Amino acid sequence: MPIKVDYAARETASNLRRNFTITLASVLTVFVSLFLVGFSLLFRQGVEKTTERWRGGIEFIVFLSPTANPDQINAVRTALDSPEIEKVTFVDQNAAFDEFRELFKSQPDLLQSVTPDILPPSFRVVPRDKDARTVEDLSAQFRGKPGVKEVVSATETIKLVQKLSNWATFFISGVAFVLLGVAVLLILNTIRMAMYARRREIEVMKLVGATNSFIRVPFMLEGLIQGASGAALAVGGLVVALPFLERGLPSATDFPLFSGIIPATGDRLVTYVLIAIVGCLVGAAGAGAAVSRFLDV
Amino acid sequence: MIKLEEVTKIYKGDVVALRNATLEVNKGEFVFLVGTSGSGKSTFLRLLNKEEQPTRGRIFVAGKDIGELSSWKVPFLRRNIGCVFQDFKLLTNKTVAENVAFALEVIGRPRPVIKAQVPAILDLVGLGTKSENFPHELSGGEQQRVSIARAFVNRPLILLADEPTGNLDPSTSVGIMRLLDRINKTGTTVLMATHDRSIVDTMRRRVIELDHGEVIRDQARGVYE
Repeated sequence: MPIKVDYAARETASNLRRNFTITLASVLTVFVSLFLVGFSLLFRQGVEKTTERWRGGIEFIVFLSPTANPDQINAVRTALDSPEIEKVTFVDQNAAFDEFRELFKSQPDLLQSVTPDILPPSFRVVPRDKDARTVEDLSAQFRGKPGVKEVVSATETIKLVQKLSNWATFFISGVAFVLLGVAVLLILNTIRMAMYARRREIEVMKLVGATNSFIRVPFMLEGLIQGASGAALAVGGLVVALPFLERGLPSATDFPLFSGIIPATGDRLVTYVLIAIVGCLVGAAGAGAAVSRFLDV
Repeated sequence: MIKLEEVTKIYKGDVVALRNATLEVNKGEFVFLVGTSGSGKSTFLRLLNKEEQPTRGRIFVAGKDIGELSSWKVPFLRRNIGCVFQDFKLLTNKTVAENVAFALEVIGRPRPVIKAQVPAILDLVGLGTKSENFPHELSGGEQQRVSIARAFVNRPLILLADEPTGNLDPSTSVGIMRLLDRINKTGTTVLMATHDRSIVDTMRRRVIELDHGEVIRDQARGVYE
């Protein structure tokens, strides 16, 4: 049987109006929780991107001059082949360019001015002993070698940022998940109230032979709309809040190319789509639970 | 039209609402169900539109074993069965016309059909002039007419009436019975549970008497006792 669109729309709208305050509470809860989810996701993505070259225990990086010749490169490679060093990865100019493109995706001007041949190839070094002083001594040996442009070691700051970011995302996600659970329960109860308010209509509908789906659709839509509105607010909130946040941080170009931290905001669109999907799922879950528990034939 | 084969319904706590009932109701019959309160009349009616499931036995409606009906098909069974109750079950926030239209709307009838059928059925039950009134502006008898209009507007094969005159005075009840009789004459099978002795004795239709869930009398052209 075709569900009449105008009927479903009318009933859903009147349900939402009737329970305006509790509907608002559900929507705001979804909003706050998804805002937090989105914020921590974007924050984490940013931190991960910025510190990407430092992952996997890399303690220092030997940047070579873009004009270094193969003999010079091989000399550094040989020097790095020592028992004190656990692992060395060579990043050539093309790989460096890929990495650069990823880091500065949000700044097309900067990308256009850069080609692989001006970027430095580098050795990413994982030493056996991670003690700060040992790492410092080790990396110092490569400073000033022919063909070496600069040696950068992972500072305590970077390590701290990684640690803090892990903690922050863990904590924020925890709060967000609890709030999402609260949102599901709130939506469940909103729908339950809506069904209670309409119990006589539902009784008559069942008596005259309205199908289950016909009875359920307005309530499912109500939950979906609550979840989706919360998600929309969260996306809107992030869009508004992020520029302020970024203004507070130093911009990418303020940093020298080889320093540790570059503020990157990650792939926002994916995050927004994810938020929208989670919002709809929360709404559907709350409404679905209410409908299947309290609307039996 | 309706056939029960050794139907037993036991509620929780061993309350027997119907015991081994076997009977048949033909198309176009008018049947009174009589018996004291708690004798199983309402359960009998509720079993027919699958609001209750029998504990044992089989029930056929229009040739189909409704015990084998999957739950998504139950609404389609109910479209063939109109229901009228003692308390009318009208929606207080809707007008007379809207109450009747609601029954058609929720089973997906197209708007032109609803527009044509609602005034026609309201004329049939004698409420053509009150279509824009709200239920609380009507007398009890008029409200029951609205509920009959709602039950009959979809032209069901069967009309189940659970003490439809229970809240009405005798003269109003007569009007309701005339209406049910007219509906019966269109070929609709009518089953009516009642306590109203004078109605049963005047109409002289088939009477099925229940006592503690057992059919103790099934009499063509019967009386209340």
